[in-house]
Amino acid sequence: MQTLLPFFKWCDGTAVGQAIRDSRFLFPIIESLHLFALTVLLGTVLVLNLRLLGAGMPKQPLPLVARALAPLTFWSLLAMLITGFLLFCSEALKCYDNPPFLVKMVVLFVAIVFHWVVFRPTVNAPAEPGGPRRIATAAGSIFLWFGVAVAGRAIGFY
Amino acid sequence: MSISQLCQWLQDTPWGTGIRESTWVFPIIEGTHAIGIAFSVGILLIMDLRLAGVLLRREPVSQVSNQLMPWSLGGFVIMFITGILLFWSQAMKAYGSIFFRIKLVLLVLAAINALAFELTLRRNIVTWDTAEKPPFRARLAGILGIILWAGVIAAGRTMAYNF
Repeated sequence: MQTLLPFFKWCDGTAVGQAIRDSRFLFPIIESLHLFALTVLLGTVLVLNLRLLGAGMPKQPLPLVARALAPLTFWSLLAMLITGFLLFCSEALKCYDNPPFLVKMVVLFVAIVFHWVVFRPTVNAPAEPGGPRRIATAAGSIFLWFGVAVAGRAIGFY
Repeated sequence: MSISQLCQWLQDTPWGTGIRESTWVFPIIEGTHAIGIAFSVGILLIMDLRLAGVLLRREPVSQVSNQLMPWSLGGFVIMFITGILLFWSQAMKAYGSIFFRIKLVLLVLAAINALAFELTLRRNIVTWDTAEKPPFRARLAGILGIILWAGVIAAGRTMAYNF
């Protein structure tokens, strides 16, 4: 962690970070955008997982639902990363001492890797995967993405 | 009894005080509220985007709706129950917050938007069910839904701040 301290310090000192700290309105506005993007992201993840489990949209083929939702997942994630980085810059040094923040970053990294390495190949496969693989993939995806959200909320409680 | 007295009484009840002063209950209820939003609004947004003619354009609107809305409604139940508990525990803070009032107005508008859709467009859905680009009023209902719920989320989050 110590080796990362200069990075946290640099972020904390950026002009954007300073501007957000100095404004009364910027932080809540960016935070609201961050939350709305999160809602969109979790919505796409939930619908696709419900389809994977056969519990939602069972009349549509899995790859069709996956293809339809993929751009929305991507753009909402990008919006989250951008707004999240801006929020981070405004309180980077606070985050350095904040265990939920560090947990969130680790879970986020795992969630993104899992999403593209395990989840997407499963939902895009032409043949629907077998039961155990479906359940494990959906459980992993829901646990990781909701874990990011819960850890994110915990930053403010710590 | 005025509304402010009612709010004061509400948050002074054992339940209100208990939730507010607990270490874990409040964050757990709030976390559940947020998960409820992901189910309710997150899934509703997919439906609204179908109405707006953006997503799943080749799938019949009624199929998307019938298959997704039960999950969304389940989320709304969770969100309303946890929302009422959160309000219970800090009714005075909510009463004094302009953002809480804005949130209530937006919630009512979102309900009217949904009700108007159910009572009019939904009744003759057979005539436009498979339209890749639904009629103007259906697209409007979808876009209004997205804007109103984004506003509800923003106002809800901003309640935490005093300007």
